[in-house]
Amino acid sequence: MNTSDASLPGQMRIATTTKTILREAGIGIALLVLILVFSTTTQHFLTASNVTNILTQVTINLILSIGMTFVILIGGIDLSVGSVLAFCAVVAGTVMTLPGLDPSTAVILATLSAVAGGIAFGLLNGFISAYWVIPSFIVTLGTLNIARGAALQVTNASTIYSFPPAFNAFGSQTLYGIPLLFLIALVLVAIGWFVLTKTVFGRVLYGIGNNEEAVRLAGHNVFIYKIAAFTICGGAVGIGAIIYMARLNIASPIIGIGFELNAIAAVIIGGTSLSGGRGSIVGTLLGACIIGVLANGLVLLGLSDFMRQMITGFVIIIAVILDKYRERLTKA
Amino acid sequence: MKFARFIAAGILAGTMLMPAAGYAADKPVVGLVMKSLANEFFKNMLEGAKADEAKRGDYTLKAVGMQSETDVETQINAIESFITEKVDAIVVAPSDSRALVPPIKRAMEAGITVVNFDVALDEKAKEEAGVKLAFVGPDNRGGAKLAGDALAKKLGEGAKVVIIEGNPGADNAAQRKLGFMDSVEAGKLDLLDSRTAHWETEEANTLFSNMLTAHPDIQGVMAANDSMALGVVKAIDAAGKTGKIQVVGFDNIPAVQPLLKEKKLLATVDQFGQQMAADAIDKALKVVKGGAPLEGWVKTDIKLIMSEDVK
Repeated sequence: MNTSDASLPGQMRIATTTKTILREAGIGIALLVLILVFSTTTQHFLTASNVTNILTQVTINLILSIGMTFVILIGGIDLSVGSVLAFCAVVAGTVMTLPGLDPSTAVILATLSAVAGGIAFGLLNGFISAYWVIPSFIVTLGTLNIARGAALQVTNASTIYSFPPAFNAFGSQTLYGIPLLFLIALVLVAIGWFVLTKTVFGRVLYGIGNNEEAVRLAGHNVFIYKIAAFTICGGAVGIGAIIYMARLNIASPIIGIGFELNAIAAVIIGGTSLSGGRGSIVGTLLGACIIGVLANGLVLLGLSDFMRQMITGFVIIIAVILDKYRERLTKA
Repeated sequence: MKFARFIAAGILAGTMLMPAAGYAADKPVVGLVMKSLANEFFKNMLEGAKADEAKRGDYTLKAVGMQSETDVETQINAIESFITEKVDAIVVAPSDSRALVPPIKRAMEAGITVVNFDVALDEKAKEEAGVKLAFVGPDNRGGAKLAGDALAKKLGEGAKVVIIEGNPGADNAAQRKLGFMDSVEAGKLDLLDSRTAHWETEEANTLFSNMLTAHPDIQGVMAANDSMALGVVKAIDAAGKTGKIQVVGFDNIPAVQPLLKEKKLLATVDQFGQQMAADAIDKALKVVKGGAPLEGWVKTDIKLIMSEDVK
């Protein structure tokens, strides 16, 4: 705690907190406006079953986005998450369908192997980009291909299916209309929020995004922190892979294509700066919800597929423009 | 010691690569241009072709696959290098019905026997380029109608259905949609909505959940491939409507076999993909050996697989 408090003057910290709250409020209002628009223009938007649907549909992207937030906060990017998700899923799927395992052991081993696979790729991404000081954009573009190729190699391009029935059922269970899978994501949101706001570790990550040199001079080992951020992202991807399998009851090497872009979009819509140093997990939660609500609402509105795609694109751009204005307002 | 072994390994690798550089003079060489080998369907198709090569033993197979479904350039490059290598026949599953016409024309002008299989080249593009080329492949529209008719028969007239389409722009996706539309018309079904889920399980799951919200009275779903049908079935389970909504798919992939057994999938269509490339190669070799050129549309087998047939 001490080192961090020393490196951040009290005045500045309070200002940062106020800014963050203002930013999150802005995104929250945007989400509310969307919800309002869809609930007045469509019949079924605010029904219990549709809310359950939206929460289910948001879950995987939310989990990937939590990990992505850590990476983007230090000024990095992880393009490999979609491919690594496929890799983790096929490894977990292979473990889960091993003959002779009883269902609960199979599920536990599969979960551990998915998370281990994600962490391994996270370590690789973090180590390569931190040790050789290579932009993570390039490194993760490489691991994107490595993970996808590995997933195809492991399975010989085939789909893995027939998971234990209890695991399959778990994927669609709800508690008071809230999908269990989404509750897992919420727990991860809470953990991410705590780590980023209440620990020295979290503050140092923000510091690296703002001014890496200053953090280094303050005596922190930037190298380790960077690797940690990518590893957290990888671990989140591993959890995301298990969630994917529980939701859809398959694991295939071609899943997850483009998931990295949805995750990045959620993080950016959520107010995290692509150049690092500012943003929050709560913002990411709201950003992921905006993407999910939009995808759901536009189908309910009956808009064509191509219109939907265009509108989603516009919303991402508008969100970033609004963020620029908010930045100016809070600075003034 | 280590160094010597290294050199030995190098020489061994060199000799293994030799046949690729200079083909044995007597055997005809067939260049196979495939779509994405990351797709299980094409992967199996390639394995079928390799098994055929090993079984027949009277030709050499050179296969090229793509990185992704839309990687048109790899296919064009592959055809161009096959022309340079002077192969005897090129068997191609085009990723784009128009973009592949010019390189195929060049191959034909170089005296190479070309067989177009799996996805037909665009008739108009062929005409404009002055290319006459037969097509060996399944009737996607007819196949989709088989599945659609099975659904119509099960549900009866006036039943409310939706279509989950494949990639917009892909010829087989368009043909399958037309086939489903034929069934809608013939069976007097009530089509509520038709949207793409880009061949993907997760996207189909999300899309169908949302469709079900907009139209809670959906009775039947026609999915343009089985991967999407998987996502639809899972969405039906999650909505607690198992057995109340009938689903048909296309491709008969291994992953839907349990669903057919459990009657969660009413029907799917097998187009015997594993055999498709091998069949096209056999037909190309007949022409190479002086047989009559292929004409028009040589239809390959398709079969409707009903859930009650799967034990």
